[in-house]
Amino acid sequence: MKINPVLSSIIREIRQKSLEEREHSRKIVSWVEDHRLITGAGKALVLILPTKGCSWALSGSGGCSICGYIYDNPQQPNYDDMLISFKEILNQKIEKNLKYSLKLFTSGSFLDLKEVPLEIQKEMMREAAKYDQIEEIVLESRPEYITESVLDNIAQNIEINKIEIAIGLESANDNILQNSINKGFFWNDFVKAVTKIQSIGARVKTYLLFKPPFISEYDSIVDILESTSKVIELGVKTISINAMSIHRGTFLSELFEKKMYRTPWLWSLLHLCREIKKEYPDIRLICDIVAGGSERGAHNCGKCDKEIISILKEFTLNQDRKILDEEINCSCKTEWKSFIFDERISNSELLDIY
Amino acid sequence: MRFFQPLSQYGFTRLLAETRTRTHLSPGIIAIEKPDEQKGYSAFFNTILPPSYSSLKEPFTLNWIIPENKKEKALTNSFNLPFQPFYSATVNSELSERDFETYTNNFLGLEDIEKQIYILPIDFIESSYLDLVLKSDVSFITLLGLNRIFNNQRKLADTLVNLKEKIPPDIAIYLSGAVSPAYFSFLIYLGIDFFDNSLAYKISKNGYFAQEDKLYPINNHPRCFCRYCSEKDPDLLGHNELVMKNEIAKIRFALEEGTIRELVEKDIHRSVTFAATLKHLDKNYSDSFSQRTPVISSSKLKCIGEESLYNPSILEYRQRIRTRFKPQMYKKIILLLPCSAKKPYSFSRSHIQFRTAIKKAGKRVFSALSEIIITSPLSVVPRELENIYPPRFYDIPVAGIWSEEEISITSELLLDVLSQFPKESIIINHMHGHGYEQIIENIREKSSLEIIDTSAEKSPTSPESLKKLSEVLTSINPRLGAHEISSTPSRISNLKTVADYQFGNDTGDILFSNNIKIKGKYPKNLQVFRDKKLIATVSSKTGFLSILPDVAQEIVDKTLVKLEFGAEYVSGSNIYAPGCIHADETIHPDDEIFIINNNQVIATARALVSGFDMNKMTSGSLAEVKKKLKVKK
Repeated sequence: MKINPVLSSIIREIRQKSLEEREHSRKIVSWVEDHRLITGAGKALVLILPTKGCSWALSGSGGCSICGYIYDNPQQPNYDDMLISFKEILNQKIEKNLKYSLKLFTSGSFLDLKEVPLEIQKEMMREAAKYDQIEEIVLESRPEYITESVLDNIAQNIEINKIEIAIGLESANDNILQNSINKGFFWNDFVKAVTKIQSIGARVKTYLLFKPPFISEYDSIVDILESTSKVIELGVKTISINAMSIHRGTFLSELFEKKMYRTPWLWSLLHLCREIKKEYPDIRLICDIVAGGSERGAHNCGKCDKEIISILKEFTLNQDRKILDEEINCSCKTEWKSFIFDERISNSELLDIY
Repeated sequence: MRFFQPLSQYGFTRLLAETRTRTHLSPGIIAIEKPDEQKGYSAFFNTILPPSYSSLKEPFTLNWIIPENKKEKALTNSFNLPFQPFYSATVNSELSERDFETYTNNFLGLEDIEKQIYILPIDFIESSYLDLVLKSDVSFITLLGLNRIFNNQRKLADTLVNLKEKIPPDIAIYLSGAVSPAYFSFLIYLGIDFFDNSLAYKISKNGYFAQEDKLYPINNHPRCFCRYCSEKDPDLLGHNELVMKNEIAKIRFALEEGTIRELVEKDIHRSVTFAATLKHLDKNYSDSFSQRTPVISSSKLKCIGEESLYNPSILEYRQRIRTRFKPQMYKKIILLLPCSAKKPYSFSRSHIQFRTAIKKAGKRVFSALSEIIITSPLSVVPRELENIYPPRFYDIPVAGIWSEEEISITSELLLDVLSQFPKESIIINHMHGHGYEQIIENIREKSSLEIIDTSAEKSPTSPESLKKLSEVLTSINPRLGAHEISSTPSRISNLKTVADYQFGNDTGDILFSNNIKIKGKYPKNLQVFRDKKLIATVSSKTGFLSILPDVAQEIVDKTLVKLEFGAEYVSGSNIYAPGCIHADETIHPDDEIFIINNNQVIATARALVSGFDMNKMTSGSLAEVKKKLKVKK
């Protein structure tokens, strides 16, 4: 069994309460941002498709303990509108002399036929194939939807080497997947999916989650380092480290409100980027920080937050190790050290008696 | 074999040492990473903060700081943190209970358990799984979750006493996290052995500048002239570490000196919660503490605050007066006297004056006289016991004002003592002042003994009062009837009373009958001869007795300080836990105890820990042998 039934039932209860408040239909949300493509600097066109959302989150398992993206998905998607709107956005936003990475996100799995039916996937790929400026297409999916038939459908409609499939592995450690995140799949499932993607000629991007619940910051640093090594061994060349942020309506959010969880320190993320880039200079390492500098996102003492966030942003864009080597000092650095020690020893129950 | 060995005990506080080398390690501070300067730390974690690719393979170990020349002899030099519970106990009881069981089972499957760090969330103190762990060789427990109950004095006291009652004294308890040094003494008194230096690291925006009694916000702290603060670029981490180390040094000193309780009584004024917690402890758990508190001591006992009324040493004293003090049958005049600042009382001016006035009444009266000194917080001190601890060693700020509590405690004990005297006894009250009057009032109400006041009008040392004392005593003489002048000199009857107090009822009469001679003068120890044979010595330092093993045999059935040993004779100079079959639970640390085998006393020894804890320990030394029985060959 890949889930812990007790954990899963706690999550399910929280999920059911929050799901009722979802809207019925929505439009595609989209934006353009600077992005590093394989061939150099360019743009990313990001589209959030209003599908019905992640099937895992909607299932009896309750979904992941940390994820509240499902609350942004509508209960009833309208595929006809979605397709029309998709074509319009591409038409409006793609400029002639730039190169693009097209990111198609659903807050779930693009390859899940319950979210995006095969026909819609096909139409969208065909449409994207019309634009030469689109050099890369990023699709997100859980491993169980990465089947040969779905991949073939994509390969038949667009050059497959443009495709990058992003999988939220979160951790290569099955214990964390099962008892912290309630991810519902194991490392081996990820390996099988990666093999399928690679054999058809597409690329894999992997998300790793920094500091899921019940894992101390110290242990999570260890886990990210170990997971990165394992993922790179499979031939994955793009790794994105996602710093935990608190989504409302999740189990993690409840822990956070009970002061049983502190979002990660920016020092740890800076350290992780330094370590990984030193050990694996050739991989593309992405460190996007959501809600950085705030209580619900990765943060330090408040004085040095901005500086570190901007360094990490710049690094993600340029992939230049030298940016990270810059010496940064703040009086909260010793506090961070004692924090990661205390949290490691005290099983996330910090003892402060002043 | 456990890594720790208690070398002394005071309540739940103890001095822990490495079992084989006897290097003192606790109370102590653990550094959370390898410190620049090891001095002042008991141990350090080898953690690389933060972990890196090069440190991934290194185990998480705790390294003990044992002097180089002793390292080889030590049981081990480092402990290991193999794994931990996954869920904090507060997450969800269903999740964490199962997790704790799995964790504990896995832990018990480890090899070298004495080197493994066990993590115990306070929520599972009652768990039967913990009992399994305590039966193993586990030496070091990290306590989790104490912060949740820190402002709840009742729960804090209940939890820690509960835990310490379960855990043998050779298992160390580590409280990790940022703990102010202001609270070290109290937490150590509650049984915590180790803290860490993580508080010292809190020197950023919301951090602290530590002083031993208080933490100052980082931007608003007083000037300090320690070497770290005197540097051009003040090293706050160094300063904070120094303050923590010095606080521990002070506590260790008090422990070795036997004055930890006084330190605690002083330090609890740093926190309202802890002040309340101590009250709760004294009220509800006095037995747990007194059982583990030395009776024999020679340290000054400063009784300053009202907490002193419930000092475990004093509670035990009052308890023994109640149960073990039996006046000689020919004592029919009870003279109640006020205390004096100088100790023993008989060396004071006032008591010399009382003695002179008493002697005027003649020998017959004197030998029928039982002198009882009324004082707080001891309540009642028979003259016979004025030379022992605590009567000879306590000190109080004398203001002549008695609290309601002092009056009621003293009255109760005095009533109990008075009930031991013959019905026709006469009380002579030679005390003056409001508190004393209140006590006498209570006695009048509840006792049928006749009371004559000799100092009601003026102070006890006034010529008028002294004269009245002589006159009253003289006038009583005829009422004593056919009373014979006792042939037992007062020094010998003092010894009998001390023996009863120390070893148990009736032991004095058995030991000090026949032809008794006492030789020696202060400051030398007294030697007691019976029928020309040396049978005991009296320590001039403590006023307590040491008796020879063959003499101890005479009182073996009466004493409450026996340790049943598993062999016919004692070899070496220590009694180790595996050799102990059973120890009397009335043994206090530092007691003179009798090592017996087959009801034969084979040695006398000094206890290191209480009888309770002797029965719980599985390794280490329990007592130091003093005299062995000489076997005729």
